Amino acid sequence: MDSAKLEMFDDVGGYVEGEMTIPTSQNSTKIGEPDFNTLDEPIRETILRDVKAVGIKFAHVLFPKEKKTLLKEWDLWGPLFLCTFMAMSLQGSSSTDKSKTGDPQFAEVFVIVWVGSMIVTLNSKLLGGNISFLQSVCVLGYCLLPTTVALIICRIILFVEQSYILFFIRFAVSMVGFAWATYASTIFLGDSQKPGRKLLAVYPIGLFYFIISWLVISHTNT
Amino acid sequence: MTNLQEVPTEELLSFHDYPTVHSAANNTTIPISEAQIQTHSLEGNFQNSPNRQGVDYAPEPANESPAEKPFWSVEYYQKFFDVDTKDVVERIIASVTPRWDNSLKRHLRTKPDLYGPFWISVTLIFAIAISSNIANYLQHANDPKEYHWKYNFHLVSYAATTICLYVTLIPFTLWGLLKWSSQIDDIEDLGESLTPGALELICIYGYSLFIYIPASVLWSIQIDLLQWLLTLIAAFISSSVLLLTLMPALKLSRHKFLLALGILACHLLLAAGFMLYFFPNAHNTAAVVQQPLKQVAVAVAANNTHLASEPSKV
Repeated sequence: MDSAKLEMFDDVGGYVEGEMTIPTSQNSTKIGEPDFNTLDEPIRETILRDVKAVGIKFAHVLFPKEKKTLLKEWDLWGPLFLCTFMAMSLQGSSSTDKSKTGDPQFAEVFVIVWVGSMIVTLNSKLLGGNISFLQSVCVLGYCLLPTTVALIICRIILFVEQSYILFFIRFAVSMVGFAWATYASTIFLGDSQKPGRKLLAVYPIGLFYFIISWLVISHTNT
Repeated sequence: MTNLQEVPTEELLSFHDYPTVHSAANNTTIPISEAQIQTHSLEGNFQNSPNRQGVDYAPEPANESPAEKPFWSVEYYQKFFDVDTKDVVERIIASVTPRWDNSLKRHLRTKPDLYGPFWISVTLIFAIAISSNIANYLQHANDPKEYHWKYNFHLVSYAATTICLYVTLIPFTLWGLLKWSSQIDDIEDLGESLTPGALELICIYGYSLFIYIPASVLWSIQIDLLQWLLTLIAAFISSSVLLLTLMPALKLSRHKFLLALGILACHLLLAAGFMLYFFPNAHNTAAVVQQPLKQVAVAVAANNTHLASEPSKV
């Protein structure tokens, strides 16, 4: 027993010393490796690295091929940006004019997005899916990107005088956004369920994006 | 415990060196003190606790006894969501086809779930809100004066309140009434097995709302006769399934006709209420009543300070 313990302590001591000497000689380590040192790098680099990580995730949502990247290193920055942007552009005006009170408020959109994604995640957990809570919330949040793009296009279309054709274009754009978002999130999250329950887990995801797409279509700036 | 009597007090209070490697099989052979047993059981509890990372979380087998899981953990509620796609589809189909052989009941008896009721309710809430907006738009599209159409997001909250209350309060009330009025003097154990639990009632009510989803989409067509016809057909199918499913329990009740009538009336009232409130037709007399109410409600939601002058304007 004693000899084993001593050996162990020796090991730890050596390890700590080694760790402390590493930073001086390391300049060429790659991002994400364990001995990467961020203590003496400029803030700009740190921020740029995080922005790049968020950008890469957005790219993965737009071209959903690789399944594991979004899941492995989740963050909530992208969802926060998207959700705040959507809530700000979807909110109604604060005037007390009677005809303008039908729009959702900022908080309502915000709550629908976050609580909605949490409920969808909880649903897949309850169905027995093997995925952690925040990973799933992260994926659902990042997959809002197509609907956000649809929202931007709809806002641009709304600058012009409205007609039936333009309404139809807005409708088509939001439906494409809805289908894209559902498809992407199904690719990322579909594997976590048993085969017999895939549809049960996918249906709430579809409903979630459908409701957000409905908000996008219905938004007018008159 | 017999071991404890033999060990002297000094030995109990002083520190001991126990072998660190011990398996469950060793427990029976090695003479062990009380302390060791306690650490063992503590370790066991810790490993069973729900605070595990979700990544390496494996789904529990369905046949585990539910008493082991505390009610705040996700695992406790998994038994209410233990359904496959085909189960849910079968239950939905059974909920729109009234049959004497009670297939819905047979399904629910074995395993009532909350997946169907929850998502059917959520879908119904948004289906009603969306198609109500479409109906409102169609109505205004025919009216050239009202070009200034705005969609009303707040219908979601009204629909959500109504449906959530209906799907929770009515089953609990019915459960209480069935308990109270059941005659189980002579056939006690039989009565116990026939009276449905609150969970089963919620499940039945949730599935019975399914037919209102297609109905609410079709309600947006602004034809008076069609709207009423849809309401009656949907309420008839849904409540007949409900009554057929609850028949064995109702038969035991002293007030079976009153209860059946109450179930029917509530269901019909819900359907008619949906139709009249969310899909007001311009030709309906109800629309004249509903419109000012709706505008007042919207004004309240927006914190309108001129609330008092609102009804007079309309």
